[in-house]
Amino acid sequence: MKKNRRIGSRFLIGLVFLFLYAPIALLIIFSFNEGDSGAVWKGFSLHWYASMLRNRLIIESVYMTLLVSLLATVIATFAGTFAAIGLYSLPRRRRDAILTVNNIPMMNADIVTGVSLCLFFVAFFQFWGRFARWFNGAQTAFALPERLTLGFGTLLLAHIAFNIPYVILNVAPKLRQMDGNLMDAAQDLGCTWMQGFWKVMLPEIKPGIISGALIAFTMSIDDFVISYFTAGSSTSTLAMTIYGMTKRRVTPEINAVSTLLFLTVLVLLVIVNIGEIRQERRKRNASLQGVPLGEKLRRFFATRAGLYAKRGLTAAGVAAFVAAVLFLTRETQSIPVVNVCSWGEYIDTDLIDQFEAETGIRVNYQTAESNETMYSLLKSGGADYDVIVPSDYMIAQLIEEGMLSELNYDNIPNFQLIDPRFRNLSYDPENKYTVPYAWGTLGIIYNPTMIDGEITSWGALYDERNAGKVLLINNSRDAIGEALMYLGYSVNTTDESEIRAAYQVLDDASRRGVFQGKVMDEVFQTMEGGNAAIASYYAGDYLSMLENNEDLRYVIPDEGANWFVDAMCILKDAPHMEEAEAWINFIASTEASLANMDYIGYASPNAEALEQYPAYYEELYGEPMEPEIYDILVTPPEVLARCEMYENSPPDTRALYNRLWIQLGI
Amino acid sequence: MSKELIRLQNLCMAYDGETILNNINLYINDKEFLTLLGPSGCGKTTTLRIIGGFTTPVSGDVFFDGARINDVPPHKRQINTVFQKYALFPHLDVYENVAFGLRMQRVPDPNNKRGAKLSNEEIDRRVMEMLESVSLKGFERRRVDALSGGQQQRVAIARALVNRPKVLLLDEPLGALDLKLRKDMQIELKRIQQQVGITFIYVTHDQEEALTMSDTIVIMDKGSIQQIGTPEDIYNEPKNAFVADFIGESNIIDGVMVKDKVVKMYGRLFPCLDGGFAENEPVDVVIRPEDIDIVPVEQGQLTGTVTNVTFKGMQYDIIVDFRGFKWLIQTTDHSPVGSKIGIKIDPDGIHVMKKSEYSGMFGDYSSFSDEYDELNGADGAEGQGDET
Repeated sequence: MKKNRRIGSRFLIGLVFLFLYAPIALLIIFSFNEGDSGAVWKGFSLHWYASMLRNRLIIESVYMTLLVSLLATVIATFAGTFAAIGLYSLPRRRRDAILTVNNIPMMNADIVTGVSLCLFFVAFFQFWGRFARWFNGAQTAFALPERLTLGFGTLLLAHIAFNIPYVILNVAPKLRQMDGNLMDAAQDLGCTWMQGFWKVMLPEIKPGIISGALIAFTMSIDDFVISYFTAGSSTSTLAMTIYGMTKRRVTPEINAVSTLLFLTVLVLLVIVNIGEIRQERRKRNASLQGVPLGEKLRRFFATRAGLYAKRGLTAAGVAAFVAAVLFLTRETQSIPVVNVCSWGEYIDTDLIDQFEAETGIRVNYQTAESNETMYSLLKSGGADYDVIVPSDYMIAQLIEEGMLSELNYDNIPNFQLIDPRFRNLSYDPENKYTVPYAWGTLGIIYNPTMIDGEITSWGALYDERNAGKVLLINNSRDAIGEALMYLGYSVNTTDESEIRAAYQVLDDASRRGVFQGKVMDEVFQTMEGGNAAIASYYAGDYLSMLENNEDLRYVIPDEGANWFVDAMCILKDAPHMEEAEAWINFIASTEASLANMDYIGYASPNAEALEQYPAYYEELYGEPMEPEIYDILVTPPEVLARCEMYENSPPDTRALYNRLWIQLGI
Repeated sequence: MSKELIRLQNLCMAYDGETILNNINLYINDKEFLTLLGPSGCGKTTTLRIIGGFTTPVSGDVFFDGARINDVPPHKRQINTVFQKYALFPHLDVYENVAFGLRMQRVPDPNNKRGAKLSNEEIDRRVMEMLESVSLKGFERRRVDALSGGQQQRVAIARALVNRPKVLLLDEPLGALDLKLRKDMQIELKRIQQQVGITFIYVTHDQEEALTMSDTIVIMDKGSIQQIGTPEDIYNEPKNAFVADFIGESNIIDGVMVKDKVVKMYGRLFPCLDGGFAENEPVDVVIRPEDIDIVPVEQGQLTGTVTNVTFKGMQYDIIVDFRGFKWLIQTTDHSPVGSKIGIKIDPDGIHVMKKSEYSGMFGDYSSFSDEYDELNGADGAEGQGDET
């Protein structure tokens, strides 16, 4: 009986640990996967680590993360330590009250901290703008900057703010343990308060300060939510970059980065714990004889030679810190800059290096997660992008709201290379604001081994015979749009009865259990692993799934499909107009278009690039491109003629979509 | 005694609206062993901290050698302190703890505005000398938390005295030691004080310690000084019921001063040696338990019934009921419980005090055991204050 219970509890513990660590183990294992799938093992390889090191977005955000974490840790440790000391000079009741207040930010949801800091900063910037305008108007001797934006400064402030409580929490117990008379004793023996702090208090509370600093550093490296809301557009930490990368295409590079991040945090935590254990042990063994290493070192440092050694080490440490900060800040010097915002995994990052080498303009490349989040970031005034790459319908909305700047096409000669098919499209009929970046279709991906026959209609998504094997795209516009096409309506209809009819199709299928679930990124693993038979997704992403599962097919149904164009635009009042146009011109060039097309898997609008791509492919990979693949990548004109582009819908249509989408319980 | 070294003038201290010190006036002579004695919360430690410079008084002045030192920080005062629980530096060994003050010292140097450090040889000589005089030679490299309580105590004293202060402040330095060690250290401290010849200001709540060691005792309660005097003065001539009760055992009886040298208790007249009161002024009368003689009932000035007897080795403590008010009498004669006895008090055994705010609060032994417990509590955590 007892034995059974023990086995039972061991089993439970094992289960708990399995749940805790299996996902991490999986992540680490797949970071060594030869292939690019998170589900199919193709052999051991380190090449994702290599490609991670070459990925400039990752490396830059690692710099940024380290810089912010280091600075925030040092400043927060300093401020937190003295705050804790100050607290301990207060009467007990007031001190306890303040310590409780100190704990609230740690308990508080990150999202609340992040949003409130963001609101606070933006409110301050508005106030500051008014003040600066008044100040600059009132005198001419000294000009204050009128426009402040979220960025490195606010990110650093936010990190300092959320780190300080952790430092206080770690230093406070050491102060509590300390004999209250120690500082008096030091002063009694001839120290000023400051000397007493260095000679007596610091050695006593040092373990607390160190563990506080390490935890603060860990928290900083680890933080996503608060950074996300306070970093603005021009700064991106590692966690933010990883998040951005997952939005378009999940690559095992993310596994590699996450593995390294996990190991870093693990090592830091191990150091903190070992420190605490050793301290405990030393306390327990205090009465025992024998000279521990620390004591030997201390004695060495008490000698004259040791004194110099200590000073040397301190100087070296300070120098190393300064060097690290300088090294990390070298990225942010005042050279011409262009701030670009695009989607994750949506550029061949070699192009950025190439552009910088050619022009001497530094590219600050950031990623947004969706058109909608980018739009709200722009609206909040927290962003200072120059170039953005929104999708068609969003461009229409931005133009309508006067948020885009007209382009000077004299500065963008490569616009002439854009295939006329992709000029003057509905979102920008006179083509005054945009240069297309990439285009593609949203069709059906399916696994013929799992269903009977070929698919030629959107009806397959709602067919009871495929019950439990269909993945519905988790996006109201796409999901309802597909049903509209199935019913023969326009995807841009504003007729409520048509939209309701489309909803009815989805609702019926859902009731009959056709859908396995609503997915976005999970579509890769599920389809590659053969866990679902049918999904609707982008042609470019189909091509990367095909590498891991050769059974998969892609089809544009007879009813047609949605096709989209993402185009480069410049925001109104962009601070770096000239550099932005140079960037657009560079990206529109044939060479850049070819490289990009190969990397991201979406077709370029550049006519020359479209024509030359098969030859480019053959030269690069040593084998000819299969025509079927080319036709999927570059949808042939007669197929494209069946496809329809999203237009910006009126607000009540958008509201209807949202209502119906929520109603649809899957 | 020699000249005045420290003077406290109209010192007041309050904390969070609560009065801690109420108009303290006190002078302390050079080379004097002065004890601040009182129950916990009486303000004695605060007074000490003000002298040391760790606390700033709300009002009033502190003079040192004639100069006002209110605003002089602790590290510039020629005063060192032995703290309660010692406050040794745990990250330093014995040697470095003792050397700490010397390493901070600067001697005037024409070449250096901040002054020159003491040489390592000088420091070493003085530290070793000091360690020897507190019998801690050979312990230089021990961690302080690896020492016994008595050894830590001696390190604390050495750490303070090595700086050759003019005044040493000691804040309940023996509180954490056991009884035997405490007795030894009392003698040791007195010896050290006489050897180095400086002023000691000693804070304790242990009346026995105070009586044993001090030249002068300052009795404090509720932030005020109740009495200042030599141990003999304080014991024999307590100023009010609080002092009488706090120092030793006392029976304190309501009386009326009929005229000089005659006091009336229990409706009877007793001859005494005190005078200077108004005619028929109500007074408190202190009679020490050892000043009462037991006599046959018919010869007694008063008669009472024995209610409790405790054998104490050298004497018996007996409690006698005199018309509902219970006295403590110490005697070498055994009187069984329930027996009637008479007592006689010599005129020099009677001490008459003016009525004070403490009148009626002390001096009755009717709740004998409770009273003893209370005394134990007030006299020290280890509780051996019952043997005076």
